[in-house]
Amino acid sequence: MDSLPLAAGIGLRAPHVREVLAQRPKVPWFEFHSENYFADGGPALANLDRIRAHYPLSMHGVGLSLGSTDPLDVAHLVKLKRLADRIEPACISEHLCWSSVGGRHYNDLLPLPYTAEALDHVCARVGEVQDFFGREILVENVSSYFAFAESTLAEGAFVAAVAARTGCKLLVDVNNIYVNAHNHGIDADAYLAAIPRSVVAEIHLAGFDASGACLIDTHGAPVATGVWSLYERALARFGPVPTLIEWDTDIPEFAVLQREAATAQTYLEASLAVAA
Amino acid sequence: MPSLRELQTRFAATLFTDAGDPGERMAIYRNTVFANYRNALGATYPVVRQLVGVPFFNAAVDAHVLAHPSTGGDLNVYGDRFGDFLASYPHAKDLPYLPDVARLEWAVDEASRAADIDGTPAQVLADLAAVPGGEVARQHFTLDPSCRLIASDYPVLRIWHVHQPGFDGDVHVEFGVGKDWLLVRREAGLVVVERLSAADFAWLQALAAHADLATALEAAVAADATFDLGSALRESIADSTITGLAAG
Repeated sequence: MDSLPLAAGIGLRAPHVREVLAQRPKVPWFEFHSENYFADGGPALANLDRIRAHYPLSMHGVGLSLGSTDPLDVAHLVKLKRLADRIEPACISEHLCWSSVGGRHYNDLLPLPYTAEALDHVCARVGEVQDFFGREILVENVSSYFAFAESTLAEGAFVAAVAARTGCKLLVDVNNIYVNAHNHGIDADAYLAAIPRSVVAEIHLAGFDASGACLIDTHGAPVATGVWSLYERALARFGPVPTLIEWDTDIPEFAVLQREAATAQTYLEASLAVAA
Repeated sequence: MPSLRELQTRFAATLFTDAGDPGERMAIYRNTVFANYRNALGATYPVVRQLVGVPFFNAAVDAHVLAHPSTGGDLNVYGDRFGDFLASYPHAKDLPYLPDVARLEWAVDEASRAADIDGTPAQVLADLAAVPGGEVARQHFTLDPSCRLIASDYPVLRIWHVHQPGFDGDVHVEFGVGKDWLLVRREAGLVVVERLSAADFAWLQALAAHADLATALEAAVAADATFDLGSALRESIADSTITGLAAG
């Protein structure tokens, strides 16, 4: 199984698949959304097989509802495993959030309260998932617009504790830290400082919407200047880490994503030079 | 301190309640959640959306989400009952063809995700030739997993066709005229929709319901006394609608 290269990859989105297959652009790796390939067969899955033949891939789930107090959805886990067995991705990631409760799904990345009980619960669930897959997973910090008054832990400490207790790795979304720092008045650098460098296996970068009082993580804009700066500080702390450009709404032409990835690559190369 | 369960239940209730102001922060979640469903169903039902316009479509999706909430983590398979919902949606009662257009779009979506099959027409014919003559009438068949059969009192194929991206022909449709018997299936990786005769539809519908050859023939002949079993069987095998023989 390949590992992700220490380079800037791009989130694979349906409008770009044809171009990627036809032109085979120089992209070090792609990440795809697991649920988009839950099909039993058909052209989308066949195209993913063809892309897999030429690029390292990372598999990124958006629907497992890892932090829910409902039982884990075994049918969903089985589909993830079937896809992982077929694609043999370099890594499998999920979000540190919940999406369902009481049998009802909201299909969104909803925030957890950062309490001792939530930490115990999430760690047990990460353990269940890792046991099911027979391999370590990555979990990603999410953006949020609501902070529970019941939280007793800082988000950074909570995220770090999940990795420390379960042996999972972290997918650090620098944009989400930036968004949450703004929305909840927390210190982004203190957040980074809470995370040990050894557990960071991947970084995400994306754009947000700043038209309201709250920053909204739309994945529909270029990476903001402040996020590039935080990314630079994240690399200074963690060392070079495979980094992904994500864009999910108002998806632009592929060349725009390549330019964003090229910018990330320059930061990564500076970090690699320091590490060398 | 409330439990994690209580906090999640309370959060979810605020997300979907119409009662009172949810507060600015919760309103962001509410907007995002409904936007996700509008986008997801818009991708599955692009023709319905064109027919009714985006504001009507979005309102219908919102009402559908409240009536039939999602129960799974894969948004790609949410909305299977949208056609049935539209049939009972009071604001759509002047558009009687709309539910069947939605059912056709769902069938197209399902067909694109169905399993791939390895068999060839030659293999099916060889297997059939090996069946003893006296047992052929009791033989069952498997259809390609992508096959979906849609019958409508409206010209839904024509409606669907003129609303496909890139269509540049005459867009006029007599919405009230016509009756369609349709077969949706995947052919060489692409979903195709074809219009069938009433007898061919009855024949395939019977086979899909796991009827044996004699029973499927009866159903087809009831629709059209001139139904030709030999040519129907050959065509369905040749175009890989029938993909194999099945146990009874």
